[in-house]
Amino acid sequence: MNNCFSCTTCKSADKPLEGYIAGLSMETSHHRVEGQSVKCGFGLQGVCCRLCSNGPCRITPKAPKGICGATADVIVTRNFLRAVAAGSGCYIHVVENTAKNLKNTARAKGEIKGVNALDHLCELFGIIGGDVHERAEAVAQAVLDDLYRPDDEKMRLLEKLSYAPRFQKWKTLGILPGGAKSEVFAGVVKCSTNLNSDPVDMLMHCLKLGISTGVYGLMLTNLLNDVMLGEPEIMEAPVGLGVIDPDYINIMITGHQHSMFVSLQERLRDEDVQALAKKAGAKGFKLVGCTCVGQDLQLRGVHYADIFSGHAGNNYTSEAVLATGAIDAVLSEFNCTLPGIEPICDELQIKQICLDDVAKKANAELKPFVYEDRENICNEIIEEIVKSYTARRGKVELNLMEEHGNRHTVTGVSEGSLKKFLGGSWKPLIDLIVSGDIKGIAGVVGCSNLTAGGHDVLTVELTKELIAKDILVLSAGCSSGGLENCGLMTPGAAKLAGPKLRAVCEKLGIPPVLNFGPCLAIGRLEMVATELAEAIGVDIPQLPLVLSAAQWLEEQALADGAFGLALGLPLHLGLPPFITGSELVTKVLTEDMKELTGGQVIINSDAKASAGILDGIIEQKRAELKI
Amino acid sequence: MKKIMIDADKCDGCLNCTLACMNAHRADGGDICSLRLTDLQNESRNVIHILPDGSYRPVFCRHCAEPECVNSCMSGALHKNPETGIVEYDEKKCAACYMCVMNCPFGVLKPDDQSRTKVIKCDFCKELGGEPSCVKACPKQAIWVEEVQA
Repeated sequence: MNNCFSCTTCKSADKPLEGYIAGLSMETSHHRVEGQSVKCGFGLQGVCCRLCSNGPCRITPKAPKGICGATADVIVTRNFLRAVAAGSGCYIHVVENTAKNLKNTARAKGEIKGVNALDHLCELFGIIGGDVHERAEAVAQAVLDDLYRPDDEKMRLLEKLSYAPRFQKWKTLGILPGGAKSEVFAGVVKCSTNLNSDPVDMLMHCLKLGISTGVYGLMLTNLLNDVMLGEPEIMEAPVGLGVIDPDYINIMITGHQHSMFVSLQERLRDEDVQALAKKAGAKGFKLVGCTCVGQDLQLRGVHYADIFSGHAGNNYTSEAVLATGAIDAVLSEFNCTLPGIEPICDELQIKQICLDDVAKKANAELKPFVYEDRENICNEIIEEIVKSYTARRGKVELNLMEEHGNRHTVTGVSEGSLKKFLGGSWKPLIDLIVSGDIKGIAGVVGCSNLTAGGHDVLTVELTKELIAKDILVLSAGCSSGGLENCGLMTPGAAKLAGPKLRAVCEKLGIPPVLNFGPCLAIGRLEMVATELAEAIGVDIPQLPLVLSAAQWLEEQALADGAFGLALGLPLHLGLPPFITGSELVTKVLTEDMKELTGGQVIINSDAKASAGILDGIIEQKRAELKI
Repeated sequence: MKKIMIDADKCDGCLNCTLACMNAHRADGGDICSLRLTDLQNESRNVIHILPDGSYRPVFCRHCAEPECVNSCMSGALHKNPETGIVEYDEKKCAACYMCVMNCPFGVLKPDDQSRTKVIKCDFCKELGGEPSCVKACPKQAIWVEEVQA
């Protein structure tokens, strides 16, 4: 029965989920879209300035400047830089904690699951000698040293981690970043009241932040996690709300910092802990994946098969996961942990615990993850969760969706596992691209939002259009969560691809959409792009490769986008990033960027039209490569 | 006939009605994100005054039962449609004498800023169908459409 006071919910590409949410008796973000449908035109265009008490100033034909004299160009760029700096700060926070956790693990002589990944990093960084733990500590320290440099001191690992032609390009443009944390600081200072008013200088700073975000926040977070948590391996896994088994004590995890869960993951496997679950009347404990950290667990699922039940869904699926009634606790350490889950957790008596105060929820218990104290913290968390299970089960009604999702999603794709799958060389993929069997590659990345057609609507429609044009899609981010729940990452989805791509997929037994997992894995896509470019002997912008953050949601996505532009890639966005109030900024990002880095922003909310534009770019790059 | 009703107490002065009006009447078409906010050709048919006490007075064409603008129009450019009640404006017939501007009791009619050859006049967005764009864009429901006796 639907008791909800506002019963209109937004569309979802996932029709069963749309029906499930519409039938809930509690309010979710999907219910609130209609009430927020009237948008502020000034906000949408990025021309509202609240930087001083003279404001808010807004640009109109008769008031073309703010009181201070700032034009639409200045207001738009300051707002944009502020967003990119915040987004970069988020990812740099993630890599900083990841490096700290690796350093602490190494010092405590903890388990290093990815020795190959460690060897690879040592080779890149020039670290020789020492045992596995000494080398792991040296790697972590090298990353931390770079993050903490002042902004006038360039980061030292950057050149070792970047593709040489790109590094030279960045050097020529003067956008090599100093210490990643300091660059966020410098960006925030630049866009404060009556400071920088040069739109081009601020946009170049966005590119600088894009590079530090991409190479450190994204790429290195993956590589450091590979050392600690084990490398991804390609396998089939269940996805969707159907992964939730009510016979277990279920812990929904949200965030981006997988390394914070390692100790708990391991502890949950111990016999004495499993016995606690059995004593409480459950079969055991299960981690239920949600948001990017769930995607990361799924990616490395081969290492956690006994404790991880599967990835249930992305950011805007989290409320539905809770609504099943079978989740006993939410463990969060970062975004996207929606504020809207709080009343749902209250209503369903779900215990909320936060491991990092940056993502502290109002009614959650804060248990900051301190490495040295990890054993006690894990035991306390487990005790709280068992208490929650015992108190709520039997009292809270279950509303399961057992048939949701599928059991055959191909996961575990990374730059390493994909190359291994291809026989240890990129040549088979390059041959398929040259022959035209795969026309090109599109990275469909980033978040889900509820406004680009609805939940995952543009992402799924665009992906279907792209694969129908024989373009292989790689996904990273909450886009993966949507695409997998809609079945596009099962081998059976090959039938939705164009005839050539379909034949390739069917021959190899792979889906036309390859699942790289979390948004952090945009860094893995960069590594794939670099290796392909290197193998062919061209620069990245010359590849028949495009990016789409069709349903970008947040500031982090804008920092990722700045990385895409710095790499020289075409970047499609379904909704404008609050820049259209400035003709200058719009022109620099959508046109002039081609001359600067080779990249360009394409803004289009229509799946067919967007796919047409991206297909055109791929065709053009193919022609330029004479293939 | 339909009329835009106003509850001034609910108005926050956000100007969303103003932008929506500009967008509905722009020459090049497109969504709100691409409306050129520095182009003087984009004018609004509604206006929000700020009063000395800081409160807002949104003013929209009343499409009056006895429209002074129509009565004062000598060229026949303004005309009250007896069926819809909408006061319609035919730019081609306008001589730009601005007697309508002088006579509008609400001060809502105005010459266009750029060419000064025509009047900026609410058309109830009738070509777009449905409710007027300003009404759809108000986040506070400070304006709405009501059927009233002519």
